[in-house]
Amino acid sequence: MQTVKQINLSGHHTIFRLSEDAYDALRQYLEQARLSLRDDPDHEDVLRDLEQSIGEKLTARMRSGEQVINITDVSTVLEQVGPVEGGNSNNLKDIPQGKRRLYRIKEGQNIFGVCQGLAAYSGIRVDWVRTIFIALTGVTGGLFLLVYLALGFLLPVVPTHAEYDAVHKASLNLS
Amino acid sequence: MENTDKFTPLRKGLLEFLILNIVSSRKVYAADILKRLSKTDFATQEGTLYPLLSKMRREGLLDYEWQESDLGPPRKYYKLTDTGHQQLVEFRQYWQFLTNFIQELGENDNANR
Repeated sequence: MQTVKQINLSGHHTIFRLSEDAYDALRQYLEQARLSLRDDPDHEDVLRDLEQSIGEKLTARMRSGEQVINITDVSTVLEQVGPVEGGNSNNLKDIPQGKRRLYRIKEGQNIFGVCQGLAAYSGIRVDWVRTIFIALTGVTGGLFLLVYLALGFLLPVVPTHAEYDAVHKASLNLS
Repeated sequence: MENTDKFTPLRKGLLEFLILNIVSSRKVYAADILKRLSKTDFATQEGTLYPLLSKMRREGLLDYEWQESDLGPPRKYYKLTDTGHQQLVEFRQYWQFLTNFIQELGENDNANR
């Protein structure tokens, strides 16, 4: 006996009954849509439109109100509705701009890329930054390692130096 | 068409003006717009259309009203605002200008050869 899950879709009074995989697929689509629309001031409104439309299409595919909707139904409907295109798809735009900022840089990282980030930020060569870090860790009896770890968890990440420069340049133009 | 990828951004940018055109003739709901475009190069989907309609409404080009439907929940029927009408007129003029301009460029180049 397969698990049946229930879901409410905006505007529809009836509750939709879905198989578990169909339910998961629908939830995943809606969450992805919410994510794509997070910069849209009317995202709640757009999400309601989408849910309503998905509900109408699912209703049209059901032969009776009792029917459990399966993954094929959901996949077909979601394919018709298509991926949600929000205002921006560029992740770098999500990074707040306006001033020079510290990032971790994954390219050439030894551990978290903190030293790479500090080097790019300060203009000091990365070997020097690493040496200073190791020296400070030695002098403080390992306590400074906590600073490294904290930075590793707190700093935002960019994948490459080229992207760091791109963000940085954009910031300079703005400020 | 071989260069079809190159035209993608162009089509994307034009979509908004095609919607203005479609909505200008009568009150429509989203599915009408999709259906009107479905067999054309500009075929699109709800996932693209809804955010765009919402943006156009925010910019004051469109407005909607709810209408009951026999087949399910009430639907949003869109119509153009005065600003929307005005923008459509401007777009058509600009399009006309572009068409003439492109035509002219081609002719001049041929004449100079």
